[in-house]
Amino acid sequence: MNVTLFTATGCARCNIAKRFMDEQGVAYAEKEIKGKGKEDFQRFYRDHRQAIRRSEEGVQFPILSDGTEIRQGLARVLAYTQVGSGLDGFFGYGDRTGGWVDGLHVSGGDASEADAFNTVLRFLKKNGLKLEFDTDGRNAGVLERLLEEGLGDRIVMDVKGPLSLYARILGVPIDDTEIRKTIRLVPRFPEYRFETTVAPLVPQEVGSHRIRYLTPDEIGKTAELIHEVTGDNRQPYVLRPFRPEHVSDERLKSLEDLTQRDLLSYRTAARRHQVYTEIEKL
Amino acid sequence: MTYPSIYPTGTTIYDPEKCWNGYTIFQAKEIGALLIDMNGGEVQLWEGFHGMPNRILPGGHLIGSSGERNTAYGMQDYVDLVQVDWEGNVVWKFNQHEFIEDPGEEPQWMARQHHDYQREGNPVGYYAPGMYPLVDEGNTMILSHKNLKNTDISDKPLLDDVIIETTWEGDVIWEWICSEHFEEFGFIEEAKNILCRNPNMRPAGGGMGDWMHINSLSLLGPNTWYDQGDKRFHPNNIIWCARETNITAITDKATGKIVWKIGPDYNANQTLKELGWIIGQHHAHMIPRGLPGEGNILIFDNGGWAGYGAPNPGSQMGLKNALRDYSRVLEFDPTTLKIVWQFTPQEAGLVHPVDSNRFYSPFISSAQRLPNGNTLITEGSGGRIFELTKDHEIVWEYISPYWGKLFRVNMVYRAYRVPYAWVPQIDPPKEVPIEPIDVTTFRMPGASGPGPRRVVQVEGVLPYRTSSTLCVEADVDEKGKNQGFKHA
Repeated sequence: MNVTLFTATGCARCNIAKRFMDEQGVAYAEKEIKGKGKEDFQRFYRDHRQAIRRSEEGVQFPILSDGTEIRQGLARVLAYTQVGSGLDGFFGYGDRTGGWVDGLHVSGGDASEADAFNTVLRFLKKNGLKLEFDTDGRNAGVLERLLEEGLGDRIVMDVKGPLSLYARILGVPIDDTEIRKTIRLVPRFPEYRFETTVAPLVPQEVGSHRIRYLTPDEIGKTAELIHEVTGDNRQPYVLRPFRPEHVSDERLKSLEDLTQRDLLSYRTAARRHQVYTEIEKL
Repeated sequence: MTYPSIYPTGTTIYDPEKCWNGYTIFQAKEIGALLIDMNGGEVQLWEGFHGMPNRILPGGHLIGSSGERNTAYGMQDYVDLVQVDWEGNVVWKFNQHEFIEDPGEEPQWMARQHHDYQREGNPVGYYAPGMYPLVDEGNTMILSHKNLKNTDISDKPLLDDVIIETTWEGDVIWEWICSEHFEEFGFIEEAKNILCRNPNMRPAGGGMGDWMHINSLSLLGPNTWYDQGDKRFHPNNIIWCARETNITAITDKATGKIVWKIGPDYNANQTLKELGWIIGQHHAHMIPRGLPGEGNILIFDNGGWAGYGAPNPGSQMGLKNALRDYSRVLEFDPTTLKIVWQFTPQEAGLVHPVDSNRFYSPFISSAQRLPNGNTLITEGSGGRIFELTKDHEIVWEYISPYWGKLFRVNMVYRAYRVPYAWVPQIDPPKEVPIEPIDVTTFRMPGASGPGPRRVVQVEGVLPYRTSSTLCVEADVDEKGKNQGFKHA
């Protein structure tokens, strides 16, 4: 299998990727996109435009291709090099630049791959990068391990809602004790915050079509959960508006956006249990 | 600013026939909320009860605050907004705006209220026929503070102004954050430059830029402009003014956008030039329906020092670069900006500009339109409250006798006249006229009486000139008259 690594001039993350691949003994051909590999990359980009993420800042490097799979961004390239697609759930696209790596989804991956996950994280840390994680509460054991290894610098926990609605919002069964455990672990990170998206609830009853947002009272119960588990009513807690245009579910696209003003009553309810609750500014 | 060292306090002028008689409420410096009658009789003191400002509600209720945040950490942050009854019992209280943990202080919720608020039922917080502030229900608009960063303005920490609306139960249901509208204010590049470097840094809390300093908040209420179709003047919209930027503006309640404003640059066009530079102003509001002048804007144009812009000899860095050493009270049409009534040193009978600083409060102060067309003015820095007729006759005057022990001034932030009927607990007082004393003949005990003991004639002396030819030109000089001195 021929592996190609597209790199950019002066790209520190590309150099880290090369070091990792060298250490792992992975053979690859480097194509420097403004040097000798320019035409190859133009061809590659033209053929795989849909698979390459382009943000406002431009295209992020490195990009790895083995002829069948493409991985973009340092962490995703390392993960794929390590075990193939087995770590995909843990590694998303990151937006942070400089010394930070984000897009690290603790809850998104297969917990049985925790060893491989930590191997990649250790390498990133060893190369001077800080790691920002996110979690929705699942995979508390994975979170605990990386915390014990001192791999985490920052974490954002998306507390989906009160425990009574958690599974319904996530769309998968959950273990209450695992969610509680994660809430308890989060404040142990050097930097952290809790957040909740004021999300819509799709009715479970047959024949019911009414979709509604979480209520201020339910957000209040969510804040109360954080208070109860952490024993602290002064946690950093942010409420985020749900954006219907960003979802694929057609039923949700018809929902009206919640305005900043709509969120004030949610903030009031949350502040009864978490006094520093703020609304995310768009 | 020629203040004698000895002068009377309390009521000094009172013509009951020409006054709109009632009680007057104000915050007596370091004493409490003081309700006085027209003769200066101290009807009731809510001792130690703060208020920025204090307001009487129908039924003898009072709004104010229980106290101020430690000034090492906050600036003019009142911890709550409280309504008490005639006996001082708390009827309503709001403080859940922000949870504050100051070093060495008990962590607590704070309203961080400052300068103004409005209770539903009345747009401006003073008497207007048929528009009575609600006493046992209703929402309250509150002007509050919030600390934040906004790098569009400056890299320094900012003390920002926030307007919130809270229900009677204390739920915040509307919020407007001033700095989020920075680009709507029309600062010129010179102003942005100094704002960036020094957004009016104050030492509290390790340093924070009190960049805007909003000091009044009123609703427009029902008005003729809106009735005629001008949507900028929707009754729910909010008018406010800010001393540090010289901006007076109307915020659209529905969108949060600025829909009308004057300032920060009064040289921007000929209409604003004719209105003149409004500097460090206070208490901008639309005269409510039912009062003479309804629909016009009434404002206390302090003068003093304020604004951001080009450096000049009085402002080497361009901070507080607009300067004027006298005050004006202006009533103007918000659609044409034409002045329809004013009280300036000229109407006060002062020779302008040489004696203009006798009407001057460089900070605080206010103006209230009364039902008979009179205007109650608080010339705050000197603790002077006075009522004058449309023709500028002073028919009531009161000087606060309360100088602070901690802060040695007798300043009055803002006074309000209220009808006797709003204080039903007591009978209306006897109104005793007070003739103005002729100060040319008034003497202290022990001082000699007026007039020379002996007069001699000097041959060849010339009569005094009608033109003063002072060291500086004045409006009584022929040239000054010809040039038409402007009070701006």
